[in-house]
Order: sequence, then structure tokens, then C-alpha cells
Amino acid sequence: MQESTFNELSDLALRLSGQHIAASKAYLLEARLSTISRRENLATLDDLVHCLKARPNPRFEQEVAAALSSKKTSFFEARDLIEKVVTQALPERLKQSKNGRLRIWCAGVSTGQEAWSLAIRLSEEMGSTLARADIEIVGTDLSTDCIETAKQGVYGHFDVQKGLSIHRLMTNFNRRDNGDWVVNEALHKNVNFRRHNLLDSARDLGAFDIILCCNVLGALAPSAQRQAVETLSAQLLPDAYLFAAPDEALEGISSVIKPSRALRGAFERDTTVKKTAAA
Amino acid sequence: MKHCLIVDDSRVVRTVAGRIVKDLSFSVSEAADGAQALEQCRKEMPDAILLDWNMPVMNGLEFLRALRREENGSDPVVVFCTNENDSEHIGEAIRAGANEYIMKPFDADIIESKFAEVGLV
Repeated sequence: MQESTFNELSDLALRLSGQHIAASKAYLLEARLSTISRRENLATLDDLVHCLKARPNPRFEQEVAAALSSKKTSFFEARDLIEKVVTQALPERLKQSKNGRLRIWCAGVSTGQEAWSLAIRLSEEMGSTLARADIEIVGTDLSTDCIETAKQGVYGHFDVQKGLSIHRLMTNFNRRDNGDWVVNEALHKNVNFRRHNLLDSARDLGAFDIILCCNVLGALAPSAQRQAVETLSAQLLPDAYLFAAPDEALEGISSVIKPSRALRGAFERDTTVKKTAAA
Repeated sequence: MKHCLIVDDSRVVRTVAGRIVKDLSFSVSEAADGAQALEQCRKEMPDAILLDWNMPVMNGLEFLRALRREENGSDPVVVFCTNENDSEHIGEAIRAGANEYIMKPFDADIIESKFAEVGLV
């Protein structure tokens, strides 16, 4: 790959998804763009960049940017965080809810495993106070392809064996003749997926009690991190919780959020900042 | 160090799985069928058993049922590792006392994930 090709692709990723691709990660580009290159019959990434420049097409550019930002996820990847959400954050939010309706946003959900893991874990709470709650899970990602996979809830042999116990697999999935496994219809009821770019407003998604944004912000350039956190923060209900992955730091990205005093590891909207800005 | 018994009639599978399990800090022994495995368990119960289904002499399901009837036979964590990937076989294995189930083909991540599910790592 020519240096100019890397520069073109990293510029595209930064512009459309806020992602910072270090030169040391150039080797990842071939793998991430292989599906598009094959489909378009382009032998090299140099050819792909030539194609992008020769036939400017915003949709194709978005598709390439989404592929460049793709992340591999697995079921119950952030197991401890899911436990915290189910056993602490949601019961706390339910106490404050007037209508028993709670909403969770999984931002940057890739192919959906985090959202389905939450739905699976919640289905195991039949005897708890959460059983009387109406909980909606919304998963979003930049990539249309990832969102399609997430919506279908169809996963391969290797995917379903990483993070899922055999009990959870048998309880929540059905096996297809081709060896793939599909999420049970019952789980689909309260889980929705939509394409969304974290650099854009999320007003259309509505307000949330809990937002999870795991393994997303670390890949973004600093200015895009700030923009994304502000997008997320704007959709937090009062006293609602924002979580990143346990090894990701949210401190210092933007002053619109602050560590939650009620729940360790969570962040909440800093209303004093809003008041100052509004004053 | 925990001990894992790998039961499979394929030497290649025993070797590959053995390397993965050793990397998870287990000591490893091998058996080529259920009868050999039962004999080894009667001498010393392992902490974990990675168990194939279809084997000559005594298959994995017969072995598991016999193992669970042995004194201390409920102690080992048994993880099936087999080509029998349909729901009926999986259900039958769980009812017979299997703790986890790996569908072949497998890789190191799958074994580690499944061992983590049952608290072995």
C-alpha cells in the first residue's frame, strides 16, 4: 500500500467517523476493507482509493469509513459491566421511574452482541423487581452492514461459543440447518437497532436511563471523542448513567459529564455545565 | 496446578487441545476412549475432562454416565467437545451431567471461554 493511500484512507476515517488510525495500524486496513475490495473487484487498496477519488459517492465513502471503524465483539464481553447495569443501575433507575419504562442505549454496538447479551441477562431477572419494568434496548452503529447483522441476530459457530454458556445458548438461540444460530423471537421484542454516527445528533433516538459506549471512544481522535461524549450526554435523562468499558477512561474528555456519586464507574450529565452554558 | 484429562480418539485433536489447555496452566493427560478415561479417573480424579462423543469401546456419553456414578465422580468439570452439534445431543449431554459443551471445530479462544464459564480459569 502506498503511503498516499494510507493517508487518504485515514483522512476519510477521521472526517466521517472521527476515528484516528495510527500509521502503525496500517496493516489492519487490508483486512477491514477486504469485503468491500472483493465485492468491487479491486485488487489493492491503492485501487480502492483510486475508485473513491474517480467516482465520488458519499454512500460509498460512508461504507468505507464504517468498515474502517469496525470492531470485533463477543457476547458478554463486558460481563462485569452488564452485571452492574442489571443489578445496580437499572434497579436504581426503576425506583425513580414513574411509569416503569426504562431505556438503554448501546452506542457503537457493532454486530449487536452487547445488546443481545443485555437482553439475555435481563430475561434471567424474572423474579426480581426488574421483571415489572418495561425495558427497551437500542443498539446503534455507524456500519449499516453491522446493524443488519445485529437486527437479524444470526451468529456463526465461533461467535456463539465465545462468551455464551451452553445454557444461555440453548435457552436463547435456535440452531439453523447451516450451523448458524439465531436469537429467539422472544428476545427481539424489546431490542431495536439503528444506524447512527456518534458525531451526529442523537435527538431522534430519544432520552435514555443508561448509555453504554464500550470500546468505541478509544479509537477516536480527541476532538471526535469530545463530540461523541457530548452527543451521548445530550441523550441522558437527569441522573441517568453513562458507562464506557472498564478499561476506558471517560475523565477529561469533556466537561459535560462527571463521575456519578451514586454509582461507582458510571458517569452522569454535569448539569452545572449546562446551567453555565445557558446562563 | 489443575489437571485436565483429554478424551478423544483422534491423536491430532488430543495434541491440539492439549497444547491449548496447557497454555491455560493445566497439567494434561490423555485417553483415546471412554474406557481408558474411566480407568484413569478411578486412579486419580482430574479437575476437568474435555470429552469427545464418538469414540470406540466406550463413547463419551456412556463414559460420562459411568463417571458420575463413581465415588467422587461428580467432582470433575466435564466439557464435551464434539462434532455432535445439534440441540438434541447437547440436551442429552447436559442431562447426563456435562457442565459445558464445545462444538467442533474449536480454537483456543473457545476453550478458554468455555473453561471460564465453568470457573476453571
